[in-house]
Amino acid sequence: MYKIYIRILCTHRRYIPKLLLMMKLITVVLLASLMQVSAASFGQLVTLKEKNVTLEKMFREIRLQSGYDVLLSTNKISSTTTFNANFSNSTIEEVMAKIIAGNDLTYTIEDKTILIKPKEKTIFDKIINYFAVIEVKGKVLDENGSAIPGVIIKEKGTNNSTTTNANGEYTIKTSDVGTLIFSYVGYTTIEQEVNKRTRINVSMKENVNDLKTVDVISTGYQNIQKKLFTGSAITVKGSDVKQDGVVDVSRMLEGRVAGVSVQNVSGTFGAAPKIRVRGATSISGENKPLWVVDGIVLEDIVNISNDQLSSGDALTLIGSSVAGINADDIESFNILKDASATALYGARAMNGVVVITTKKGKVGNTTINYSGNFSSFLKPNYDSYNIMNSADQMSLYAEVYRKGGLSPNIVNGMNGGVFAKMYQEINKYNSTTGQFGVVNTPEGRAAFLQKYAAANTDWFDVLFKNSFVQEHSLSISSGSEKSQHYFSVGYYNDNGWTVADNVKRYTMNLRGNYTLSPKINIGLLATGAYRQQRAPGTLGRTSNVVEGTYTRDFDINPFSYALNTSRTIRAYDDNGNLEYFTRNYAPFNILNETKNNYIDLDMLDMKMQGEFNYKFIKNFEFRSVGAMRYVKTTREHKITEYSNMATAYRYAPNSTIANANIFLYDDPDHPEIIDKESVLPQGGFYNRNDDYLLNFNVRNQVDWKQDFGKHALSAFVGQEIKFANRQNSFNNGYGYQFDKGGKPFIDYRIIKMLLEGNYNYYGMDRFFDRYAAFFLNGSYAYDSKYVFNGTFRYDGSNRLGESATARWLPTWTLSAAWNVDQEEFIKKISQISYLKLRGGYGLTASMGSATNSSVVLANSTTLRPRLSEVEPRIVLDGLENSELTWEKQYEANIGVDLGLFQSRLNVSLDYYNRKGFDLIGNFRTSGIGGEFTKSANYADMNSHGFEVNLSGMPVKTTDFKWNTTFTFGYNKNTITNLKSKPRIYDLIIPEGGPKEGGAVRGLYSIDFQKLNNLGVPVFTNENGVASSNVYVQSTTTDYLKYEGSVDPIYTGGLNNTFNYKNFALNIFVSYQAGNKIRLSNVFATNYDDSDAMPREFLDRWTLPGDEAITNVPSIADYLLRKSITGTYPYTAYNYSSDRVANGSFVRLKQVSLAYNLSTKYAKSIGLNSLSLKLQGNNIWLIYADKKLKGQDPEFFGSGGVALPIPRQITLSLKVGI
Amino acid sequence: MKKYIYYSFIALAALGSGCKKYLEVSPDQRTKLNTPEKVSELLVTAYPGGSYVMVAEAMSDNPSFVSLTGLDKPENRDAYYWKDVQGTGQDTPNNYWNNCYEAIAAANQALDAIDKAPDPQNYSHQKGEALVARAYAHFMLVTFFSKCYDPSTAATDLGIPYVIKPETVVLSNYDRKTVAFVYEQIEKDLLEGIPLIKDEKYRVPAYHFTHKAAYAFASRFYLFKKDYEKVITYANLAFPANNFSTNVRPWFAYSAPTGGSTEIAQNMSSAANPGNLLLAETSSWCARNYARAIYSQSQNRLNGIIAPLGITLTAYQRYSFSSTFYFIPKHYEHFVRTSINASTGVGYVMQTLLTTEEVLLNRAEAYIMRDRLNDALVDMNTLISQRVTGYVASTHNFTDAKIKSFYNSRTTDAKQAYIYALLDLKRAEFVEEGMRWMDILRYKLPVSHLDPDGNNVELAADDLRKVWQLPSEVTLAGMQQNPR
Repeated sequence: MYKIYIRILCTHRRYIPKLLLMMKLITVVLLASLMQVSAASFGQLVTLKEKNVTLEKMFREIRLQSGYDVLLSTNKISSTTTFNANFSNSTIEEVMAKIIAGNDLTYTIEDKTILIKPKEKTIFDKIINYFAVIEVKGKVLDENGSAIPGVIIKEKGTNNSTTTNANGEYTIKTSDVGTLIFSYVGYTTIEQEVNKRTRINVSMKENVNDLKTVDVISTGYQNIQKKLFTGSAITVKGSDVKQDGVVDVSRMLEGRVAGVSVQNVSGTFGAAPKIRVRGATSISGENKPLWVVDGIVLEDIVNISNDQLSSGDALTLIGSSVAGINADDIESFNILKDASATALYGARAMNGVVVITTKKGKVGNTTINYSGNFSSFLKPNYDSYNIMNSADQMSLYAEVYRKGGLSPNIVNGMNGGVFAKMYQEINKYNSTTGQFGVVNTPEGRAAFLQKYAAANTDWFDVLFKNSFVQEHSLSISSGSEKSQHYFSVGYYNDNGWTVADNVKRYTMNLRGNYTLSPKINIGLLATGAYRQQRAPGTLGRTSNVVEGTYTRDFDINPFSYALNTSRTIRAYDDNGNLEYFTRNYAPFNILNETKNNYIDLDMLDMKMQGEFNYKFIKNFEFRSVGAMRYVKTTREHKITEYSNMATAYRYAPNSTIANANIFLYDDPDHPEIIDKESVLPQGGFYNRNDDYLLNFNVRNQVDWKQDFGKHALSAFVGQEIKFANRQNSFNNGYGYQFDKGGKPFIDYRIIKMLLEGNYNYYGMDRFFDRYAAFFLNGSYAYDSKYVFNGTFRYDGSNRLGESATARWLPTWTLSAAWNVDQEEFIKKISQISYLKLRGGYGLTASMGSATNSSVVLANSTTLRPRLSEVEPRIVLDGLENSELTWEKQYEANIGVDLGLFQSRLNVSLDYYNRKGFDLIGNFRTSGIGGEFTKSANYADMNSHGFEVNLSGMPVKTTDFKWNTTFTFGYNKNTITNLKSKPRIYDLIIPEGGPKEGGAVRGLYSIDFQKLNNLGVPVFTNENGVASSNVYVQSTTTDYLKYEGSVDPIYTGGLNNTFNYKNFALNIFVSYQAGNKIRLSNVFATNYDDSDAMPREFLDRWTLPGDEAITNVPSIADYLLRKSITGTYPYTAYNYSSDRVANGSFVRLKQVSLAYNLSTKYAKSIGLNSLSLKLQGNNIWLIYADKKLKGQDPEFFGSGGVALPIPRQITLSLKVGI
Repeated sequence: MKKYIYYSFIALAALGSGCKKYLEVSPDQRTKLNTPEKVSELLVTAYPGGSYVMVAEAMSDNPSFVSLTGLDKPENRDAYYWKDVQGTGQDTPNNYWNNCYEAIAAANQALDAIDKAPDPQNYSHQKGEALVARAYAHFMLVTFFSKCYDPSTAATDLGIPYVIKPETVVLSNYDRKTVAFVYEQIEKDLLEGIPLIKDEKYRVPAYHFTHKAAYAFASRFYLFKKDYEKVITYANLAFPANNFSTNVRPWFAYSAPTGGSTEIAQNMSSAANPGNLLLAETSSWCARNYARAIYSQSQNRLNGIIAPLGITLTAYQRYSFSSTFYFIPKHYEHFVRTSINASTGVGYVMQTLLTTEEVLLNRAEAYIMRDRLNDALVDMNTLISQRVTGYVASTHNFTDAKIKSFYNSRTTDAKQAYIYALLDLKRAEFVEEGMRWMDILRYKLPVSHLDPDGNNVELAADDLRKVWQLPSEVTLAGMQQNPR
């Protein structure tokens, strides 16, 4: 079966749905065969001679020969029981006598059916049993005297068991001399001898060890006892790291696990944080860990590169694949760090693996849990940002004005602030009053400007609000020994921190686990998430390499608007109406724009999963997992006819603007028409983007486990297949009239303009991802002391292109562990609870971004101005790179796990060394082959690091407990070989760049020397001489100053929980250090009158001689601008060594105070548990470099849809029924 | 137990073969070159997508210092002072180098697909275009990046790599060989390619090597190679009816444009313009930069250039920016935005690579070299007749006497005087198109430029700086850069 369907699957991918159907059928058939207990005959004679015949076969014979059905109504014997049949024309009675011989059974015959059942006890038997079996009752309490429901009580040595009810009470019939075992997860197991007692009350103690070190590590492929695990992995419970009010589960790992760094480059819902497990491993790749949910790799909906993550583009809203997971559903995270821990992910494991296990139903009573979080994101304010007030700002504009900037010709400029408005008003004649808007006298102008100098607009107040976020989650768990269920629903609603965003999310999780027989388990899982989100309308950003700047057209992100817009500009005029300033030639007001230009995103993410485990023979188990996931997301960019963006397309109040306005159309077929014309006379835009992902995953494996005395051997072999299709399509609608019944009004020339501009108004791209892998793992343990483990895996993917050689990659790992605590000489040391040494070495890999193992030919159309001359073309997008291979890495890891004082103190230390090679990146060649920048395996890097996880309970009394956890991770990487020559520009950007000898993302600076006597900065330029002119496209980078890594070198956190009676106080501090960040880009040759400037400008050079006391450049006057034309010293200053800050910070990430109502009181109001918690997230940046002047060291001010992580207050309520 | 192991091995073996096909799916929607039509579409990109106009023009003796209020662009400033223009952006030599080799790669990829096709006979036209396009791109490279062809030194002068097959490894080593070798290869490809071309197969012929364009290129090639008989042969093949006068760029028709200079520039780069024998789509900012650069044309200078022998070619329409920067509208920018509503984008210029006028003047030059001075006069006057408004043959024509007397101070040799006359006429016709630089290379002319302070800077006849520098990355391919 196995062989056949896998083969079909490989050959024709349309059989995948069939495969799933087949799996279902197998299940049904198996179920049927199990229920069909027996078959037999009667009355007639039966003949069968066979040794070791199963009952099942016997019953079948009986039915064939006699027509009687045999049914078993007992579990004392099973249909697989064998015996020696020696019947020759025997009667049914004879046969039945033989079958039930030796068992306490009898049988009845009714209507051609024989029913085998337990023998009725005789009175004598009953009397004997009365003495032997007694009924024991009792109650199980915890240390605080609260009842514990769901405790399993088992009679030792038998299958006889029961569980406590909601009141912690139980009843069990047991032998009067038996022993009862009380067990419950998180508590120390207790054994009690019955000793003829009929009432046994026990008090269970919480197992301290259990909370911090879960005994089982889940790799997604297997669950291994921690003792036998040889790799470096950390398990954290979902409830321990959950930050109430933080909805993205990936952010919860910040500071919780040594070696895992989380950088929150954007706090917008759906945008993924930058997560690194043990630092970066790749130069161009994604570097993010592999997410595995319930054994299935979570595929991304779209592939987003490192730089895109911090770009603020709308695509980042669907960048986080875990955004659809309800944090309340997570049972645990397993973070697999080294090569031996991740070995089973082989060629995808280079960046570490995060395994998420969701909650399962538990055996015991039905429990219902509700959790509700009510949060508010606090409005940011100017105290924490470095921006001039309007008076200082106006005085700066005045200097620009005196120096010949802001001259009257800005009246028709593309963008304008107060001065542009002044010139417009000067020209505006009001015929009724007979006056101009502004009297064109020095006094008149001064009065006008005075008004704005005093405006001091608080943009944060205008654009932000203290939002209200609510999150509700309801889960039900129930289960018996045979089946367990978990069901949850979640609802999240954020009404928006800014005027331009809001989010709603609905989640659902359904899971059932069924034990069909001791040999067969199946699991079914369905999850679904739906999200509706609004974000400010944004376009992609572009970089200008010559000047070294990023630009984003029509950027209306409220946060970047607040940071970048001068406080002299007002949102409302004197009469309280919206006040408009010029942007894109047309009138602009941010409040009007956010209302009329926005993105509506919706996303549906659903997954179905089935699991099947079958112990087909002794020591062997067949395990199979199959999953199907479908994600569909739509981004609708709605730009109404009242928006600035639509208005710009028809704004031509005079001939100057008509000619300058780039949004108007200049018809090449009518060169005689002088003024450009609008091709969007009515309406706005309705632009749509659709992405979908269809993903199938199937994995089959056979496990083998056998003990030979002290030798424990185990192995498994398996295979998996992944199938993922991705599609992106877009459709741009023109002239959609939002306010006129939603009907489009289209000028055909806008389509013509688009086509002439070489844009299509719709398009679709598809990507196909096929993946297959085979794996083999073996392990050997001697007396649980010495453990050896080896894994081999062979991965194949189509992603590298169509070359057969590049496609496959073998990976392997070897590792060992020594449980020192099992040695006699350690056992004597009572302080040591456990001690383990482990080490591993292996090869892992990751895919890289290149797909050019075969030639890449892309169809498009030519870029020619006249439609009659346009023809289809094929562009050679990438030459064949026959040498292309996966990115690879050798990793060696050694670690120690130590528990002291009954596990009151747990220490875990790890050291690793990694050698990455064949790393992929863009590589600048001689160009002779026809491809100047190639994607190739062109770099090597080394990294090493050290990790510490400390956890302990320094104080523990009956009423007071103090738990503390400290994590520390150190990671340093160096590029050891880089064949390409980066340009200066590639290295000085805030994201950093790779250069041999530096970090993977090294930040380099143009070496600032001084200001010259005109206040123009002077640097050491690319030729090593002092100059104001630095050519940022030069590949001579020797004179750049290396500042350090952009990624933090040290990361970690400190968590303290104090429990006093029913109160719990939690304080969590996270930190990172060792990285450098570039200060925001504010200096320029020209300033326009709408830019906001930081307070550094107060220290600017104003008079000759100032260069001795300040490094802040002057404002260039007309002559200076002319004399430096063609050079960009002011822009270069932004990238100089003077504009770098230390990225280290210490942040009070979370403080919470919780009150848990004691069970006694909870019971009295009909509840199992009730807790209330007040929590503050992200509340205080304790330490950051002063040079940042308040700027958040984690946030890249990239505009678009990006927002910083807000300060947040959350009240959460948890109720258990 | 044994049974299970046995089965699992069979299963694994079966999987191995089944998955081969499963993994053969292309990861994206890349295309395969499996039809002649698709190969043709690939050849659309076998023409250099970069522009040499800015640098070639600035290095020549056409421009002068005009005003510091002009645009300051490295490809204008550095080239004017014959410094190596850095960078890989539009209009730089590095960019042109990369684009020429990209065009060559497209041609080679096409030829490779044709070789591997089961029915190569159906691809003969494509093969012809690929060969001629490959020859053209190499020819332009050797012209700018090597010393100009000189029969006496060509066998030792450093050439440029002549690439004839697709590169399949990251770093290939290449050999520059010699200029003579490159010329041999060009000639071989060109001659093999021309007969295979079928003009009717082109969708937009103006952007492809039609027979006419291929002959025009051949006339330029042999002119550089100083094989004058062949220049005459191919010029005649290009215009067998000798109807040059009706096929040159029709300046008379542009005399009263309602759309101003833009309209003329659009017409100059239009496929409908009969003078444009070959157009190429180039990514370039030259249309917005050429006319207004610091080092460009003042009024006097432009008027001087377009008056060979003192005869002003009045049909050229002259415009100016701020009455400071004068220009003849020749380049039209096609601005392709980065995204639909973006204000940023990339400029494209449909650059005229080969023209009727060039063929005519190539023939005239060949006539002079073959001592057919009268034939040369006829050809030159054919052009003049289309370039002077109110043309009167007796007034405006070049004559033997006019030529000799005009260049009297520079030479007494009649043939030399004719060459001067021809070069000046050519300079006028192709001002702002980079052609002058190629003539300076061919005739090893010295150049002198004025800087803003009024000082003269000189470029000697055999100055090493005349040869553009190769990108520094060529060392990765085991090659040496040009000596400096």
